[in-house]
Amino acid sequence: MAKPAVDVCIIGSGAGGAPLAYELGKAGFKVVVLEKGPWYRQEDFVHDEILNSRRNFFMPLPWNEPHLWRAGPDKPFARTNDGWTANCVGGGTVHMSGYFYRLKPVDFRLKSELGAVKGANVADWPIRYEDLAPYYDKAEALLGVSGRAVPHKFQEPRSKDFPFPPLAEHPVSQAIDQACAGLGWQALPTARGILTANHEGRRACTYCTLCGSYGCETGAKASTLAALIPKAVASGNVEVRPKCMATQVTSGTDGLAKSVLYLDQDGATQEQPAKIIVVSCTAIESARLLLNSTSSRFPSGLGNHNGLLGQNLLFSSFGQSKATFRVSRQAKQHAWLTTKAPFVNRSVQEFYVMPDGRFGFRKGGTLGFMWAHPNPIFAAVGLAKKGADGVFGKALKDKLRDYRDSRILEFETYGEFLPTDDTRVTVDSKVKDSYGLPVAAITIKRHPVDLVMTKFLVERGEEILQALGPESVTRVGTAGETAILQGGTCRFGKDEGQSVLNEHCQSHSVKNLYVVDGSFMPSSGGVPITLTIAANSFRVADHLVARLKKHGK
Amino acid sequence: MSSDDEALSRRVFVHRLAFFGGGSVVLGSGCEDKPKPLAPKPSQPERRAPLTTKHQTLTDEEFAVLVAAVDTVLPKDEDVGGVEAGVPEYVDHILTTPQLEKLKNDFIPGLLALDRRCTRLHQVHFADATPAQRAEVLTVFKDSPEKSGEAKWYELLIVLSLEGFLGDPSYGGNKGEAGWKVVGFDLAGRGTEGAPKPGYDGITTLKGLTCGTGRGC
Repeated sequence: MAKPAVDVCIIGSGAGGAPLAYELGKAGFKVVVLEKGPWYRQEDFVHDEILNSRRNFFMPLPWNEPHLWRAGPDKPFARTNDGWTANCVGGGTVHMSGYFYRLKPVDFRLKSELGAVKGANVADWPIRYEDLAPYYDKAEALLGVSGRAVPHKFQEPRSKDFPFPPLAEHPVSQAIDQACAGLGWQALPTARGILTANHEGRRACTYCTLCGSYGCETGAKASTLAALIPKAVASGNVEVRPKCMATQVTSGTDGLAKSVLYLDQDGATQEQPAKIIVVSCTAIESARLLLNSTSSRFPSGLGNHNGLLGQNLLFSSFGQSKATFRVSRQAKQHAWLTTKAPFVNRSVQEFYVMPDGRFGFRKGGTLGFMWAHPNPIFAAVGLAKKGADGVFGKALKDKLRDYRDSRILEFETYGEFLPTDDTRVTVDSKVKDSYGLPVAAITIKRHPVDLVMTKFLVERGEEILQALGPESVTRVGTAGETAILQGGTCRFGKDEGQSVLNEHCQSHSVKNLYVVDGSFMPSSGGVPITLTIAANSFRVADHLVARLKKHGK
Repeated sequence: MSSDDEALSRRVFVHRLAFFGGGSVVLGSGCEDKPKPLAPKPSQPERRAPLTTKHQTLTDEEFAVLVAAVDTVLPKDEDVGGVEAGVPEYVDHILTTPQLEKLKNDFIPGLLALDRRCTRLHQVHFADATPAQRAEVLTVFKDSPEKSGEAKWYELLIVLSLEGFLGDPSYGGNKGEAGWKVVGFDLAGRGTEGAPKPGYDGITTLKGLTCGTGRGC
């Protein structure tokens, strides 16, 4: 028995789904949000590493809901829980670190400005930075972003400074500024989705240090759970249904999306009809849901009119190095070593775009500096290693004591991730999750330019770390991908033959179907994309409100 | 070295552990229809003695091996050791949680396999062996081929030991926050609202989490 029809059914309540729910509810339209995870309260966010970071508080257990992962189409799939973000009301914005960067104008016109890259499906966006800029302003204000805008050579145009003043910084930030200046570069303050003042019932950051990978117990973090969902619900027009797993988007004889089938928290199948259906479950899971939504009219998945649904998957190119300082031996040299403030908040964007191709790439990215995460179990498991490198007994205890005497400053890269033909999401009908649904199968074939670019960024980052005078610098890697930053599987564009969605993030082939997580992005940008997903969702919300007001559907 | 214990060599064990190791583990084809059965084959002799009331998961025999293994991984020296910090109690307790229901069926046979290997090598039970003998047997497990049951079990032992040593004390390990003192975790965040409240019990919270369809983990 179907539920009463609503104006809009949104699947997912994270950076993509929640801004739409907020705006549509405010405009008076009836909205149902289906969220597969639970609805946590602030008091559920406890500083317990085992619960929070090592079990299924946020991420599903891989034997219940695996992803399949392979490094290239010729490799075997492995089961993993990589590629999930938090399964809860608020989605990935609940456990994010909240590095809230904007894209830059060049990111919208990569092909026009920097040219095609052989073997990569680089495309311009159908919108420009100027189209998104007002929505960046709105997202920063409504979610609550703190920072300090400074002029620099790749600074994106801004109409005003950040809505909240920057977080207090660890004194190493000034040391990084000086180290960069000595190298002829500029270190920039990193804007954060973290409140520095009490705001609308949310309280300012208390500098608890357990931030990224944890939920925020004061509501300071700019999660949609804290910032948007309560207001959306208070409109009286939005109903959020937690623990409801969408299994299929159905379609009618008119070729339009008709309803969402889902399993409720008791495991019973329910049907939610809606005039408009919005999918916002992350790039991987949205592609999976639509690929699983087959019918005689849409045999290869809903909205998949040209076979591109699931193709051109994007992550962020990841590289990392760590500098270790020893308190016992270096505290005199570095007075800041004994300070425990959590935030470094420094970025380097000197290499966002290279002037020519002499180093093997044109589009680079960002280096973000931070203290190593303080989770002690995570750190100790890394120190214990395994196999021939593994240690136990006194050798392990000695490593734990060395760690106690160490301060570890690290950077990670947020590099361009070129889309390739062999980087994609498919579904594997032979492997099903505990709901009985075919799981997402992720194939990644990295473009060689990505690896050259990431290595270049890592080497520059290491030069900065070395200039700080650590005891040692250790390279973690130069060929990774940050799987929590996902996009691309339903790229938007003007050409129906070359894209899944149009510039409104509306399916080219199913006119009442929208996708508003990172899936729409044809290119990854050289920064974390959470703020961009939220800003784009506010942009799509204006279109949807206008559409519903004009046509009633 | 080939695995001498069928319970340890099942591929399904490998992908469960990937979760706790934090990385992905190659399984060969990921397209298997279903994992192989978890329970020991009925034809296998039941090795376990009945549970005593002293422990929540392990028999006395298994617990004794665990204590010796934890003491080998995290011995007492100038700092507190794993046994003193309550790591064996943590492991015994955490194995009651639904999230570890399947891993439990791999971990316990591994304890007995460790004991058998020690008896074969040194003619003495693991719990009664000298520290040098224990270290030698554990090294055999550690240095076994990456995908072998022995290597995976070693990894699980390390992970569970460090969870017990460095996890929230409400789980039964890290007594007096002794493990945190060793690594200098300065109780960051304690005194803020996120700190576990008096009476907080991580195990009960874990047992209340939803798993997949809600029909258990």
